[in-house]
Amino acid sequence: MDNKEFERLLLTVQKPGRYSGGEINSVIKDKEKVDVRFAFCFPDTYEIGMSHLGMKILYSQFNARDDIWCERVFAPWLDFEEVMRQNNIPLFALESRDPVKNFDFIGFTLQYEMSYTNVLNMLDLAGVPLRSADRKDLAPLVVAGGPCVCNAEPLADFVDIFFLGEGEEVDLEVIDLYKKHKAIGSTKAEFLREAAQIEGVYVPSLYDVSYNEDGTINAVTPKDNAPAVIKKRIIKDLNNCHYPENFVVPFIQIVHDRAVQEIFRGCIRGCRFCQAGFIYRPVREKSAEVINRQAKCLCENTGYDEISISSLSSSDYTELEPLLNEMLDWTQQNHISLALPSLRIDNFSEELLEKISHIRKSGLTFAPEAGTQRLRDVINKNVTEEEILSTCKIAFEGGHTAVKLYFMMGLPTETDEDLKGIADLGQKIVDMYYAMPNRPKGKSVSVSMSVAVFVPKPFTPFQFEPQISKAEMERKQAYLKSCITTRKIDLSMHDSSTSFLEGAFARGDRRLGNVLELAFKKGCKFDSWNECFDLEKWNEAFLECGLDPNFYSARLRAYDEINPWDHLDYAVSKGFLVREHQTALSEKTTPNCREKCSACGANCYGEGVCFEKR
Amino acid sequence: MRNVRIFYEKKGRMKFVSHLDMNRFMSRLIAKSKIPVWFTEGFNQHAYMNFAVPLSLGYVGLYEVMDVKITDDNYPLEKLVEALNTVSTPDINFVKAAESVMHTKEIAFAEFKLSFDNVNAEKINEFFANESIITQKKTKKGGIKDIDIAPLIKKAELCGNELTLILTAGNENNLNPSLVMTAFYDFCGVDPDFYDVTRVMIYDKNLNKFE
Repeated sequence: MDNKEFERLLLTVQKPGRYSGGEINSVIKDKEKVDVRFAFCFPDTYEIGMSHLGMKILYSQFNARDDIWCERVFAPWLDFEEVMRQNNIPLFALESRDPVKNFDFIGFTLQYEMSYTNVLNMLDLAGVPLRSADRKDLAPLVVAGGPCVCNAEPLADFVDIFFLGEGEEVDLEVIDLYKKHKAIGSTKAEFLREAAQIEGVYVPSLYDVSYNEDGTINAVTPKDNAPAVIKKRIIKDLNNCHYPENFVVPFIQIVHDRAVQEIFRGCIRGCRFCQAGFIYRPVREKSAEVINRQAKCLCENTGYDEISISSLSSSDYTELEPLLNEMLDWTQQNHISLALPSLRIDNFSEELLEKISHIRKSGLTFAPEAGTQRLRDVINKNVTEEEILSTCKIAFEGGHTAVKLYFMMGLPTETDEDLKGIADLGQKIVDMYYAMPNRPKGKSVSVSMSVAVFVPKPFTPFQFEPQISKAEMERKQAYLKSCITTRKIDLSMHDSSTSFLEGAFARGDRRLGNVLELAFKKGCKFDSWNECFDLEKWNEAFLECGLDPNFYSARLRAYDEINPWDHLDYAVSKGFLVREHQTALSEKTTPNCREKCSACGANCYGEGVCFEKR
Repeated sequence: MRNVRIFYEKKGRMKFVSHLDMNRFMSRLIAKSKIPVWFTEGFNQHAYMNFAVPLSLGYVGLYEVMDVKITDDNYPLEKLVEALNTVSTPDINFVKAAESVMHTKEIAFAEFKLSFDNVNAEKINEFFANESIITQKKTKKGGIKDIDIAPLIKKAELCGNELTLILTAGNENNLNPSLVMTAFYDFCGVDPDFYDVTRVMIYDKNLNKFE
């Protein structure tokens, strides 16, 4: 299709800036002069995908090499997909507008289970056969990385290669191997066999899965010399690891429209529901000096007037005070606002507090996750009611009148008492506000509480736990609603249907591939978007495939059951997860990594918090 | 402090960038270029910028105007253009920077070029010969009202596949070429089939170049 015709079509859809390309810092190369073309696909809209730091890191790193051209691809929104299908426009990469099917690699990042249908839809739009077995040629290879790879079995039939863990090194090793095989004209099978030997590479087609009569897994058997256990990769030294000096700066407003500076990976806390807290272990920090230099460079090259520091729990950064001191100096000089998400500021010096007070205040947010101390001990979330109330008090005294609290429902061992605790905590904050003689004059208080449904995830101590049924979710939601008696509390709850489906896919096996494909053929896509999600179609798909979603989500799993992800090694041992699960059930907390090592297994890399002096 | 008027072209892929997004784009460009612009001094400090007449999404603009304030009186204006082009994309090309001569209130007309795939010269000439062209326009309040656009069309000239229009522009009264084309469609029932709109010039009431 010629450009003129294409651009005219762009003008018929909403936000053509999603598809136009040409953003500042986007990389254009001569396709004749590169050996490998990599289509980096984010299976959601442009605004969401462009906010993703991992994509920015790998885009910049791949393009730093002369022989690789990495381009971006996002899922077209419904209106443009219709235009594409009507006019036979295949899925294209933003930079060159070349069809993705002509690339060497089609790489997806799997950030959440509800994006799986978009992966299939994008392959379909690209004109590429969905199933790995139906793609006979060496290229294009469909590869995937990201947190969901820790159990990507539902996508095992569609993806040629999964990358486990952090991609900076392993991706390039695979690309180099591909170059070699492309040059000598190898078959896809030959290439995949050798790729499987690289640490962190999981080639699902090289593993046979057999099942017991009750539907559980009997064995996962490697073929062709593939390793029995695939171990995730990590970057040992973050200070000397590639970090972009540049972001592609979008024209249209995206979800996180700012520079982002990573400060460490992993999390010391070990909250038992949190998958990120386990699969990114061990904690590895960047030095304050490196962070400062990279952040400055990023702001200069993008022109952003806002920068945010990024990690799973920024308060746990060891050099936080000197870092903020430095960063506040140059950001304020240059009219750049520094965003400090979820920071505890109780132990800062007066001088730093004074500096921070000039930062534009965002809302006050807490994530107690559960309503009672008992349940917070079960999930190992070490936030006390006292801390929440005292911080709210300071904030109210400082003029704030709104707080936001995040909770989950359906946590293991949860009773109605715990749910009532959520409402009670909200009420206590409201009461405290009105008991304050020095509260902001003439203003009402607002407490927003957002309650999600807990979804047990692989590689967490709760991977053995059943998810509550959809009926129970709805009962709990109704009960919680009835506990709230004041209008000062604004309660919002997640849709139980999406959580239910997420639960099945999070711990699903590769038989779910059929369900996924069928649901996609019935028209499921953008499942994380309320306006698109259709549980009916999903239920039909499960029924027609003879599978029950409850088998995956609503069942207590025995410790010795073989889980679909047990042949993947994310450096936290199953023994540790079992111990943690038992500690949880006895309502006891586990100290964080800096207080005491709990022997999870992440010290196997010889790096990180495990080797800090205590 | 000087009031400086910057002239630039907006073309290529940049035509898909809306006016609101242009604001953000320009403020980042200015930050990258490190030119000494004046920042507003309110709670939400930002580089001061003023765009003379917004350009609709999808149009190319060859005479786009943005005003800034420069704090350094000795800063050479040629250097300003160079500094901006160094950090810009080729699709936003800075042409000139000069002290502003006219006030943006003086803008009265804009000249557009529209190119057609298939042109029906007879119908077009017949259409523009009308003394009154009543069409419907959406009002800012969301309603629809009838207006006569004929008095707002200063010039309409067809040359081959290219139609030149000089239309009333500015804050008070502004006529968009797409509204002219909608009216044309309503008038003769023939799809005007235009794809490319370029705003080539902005004038004051005497058709002097806006400077």
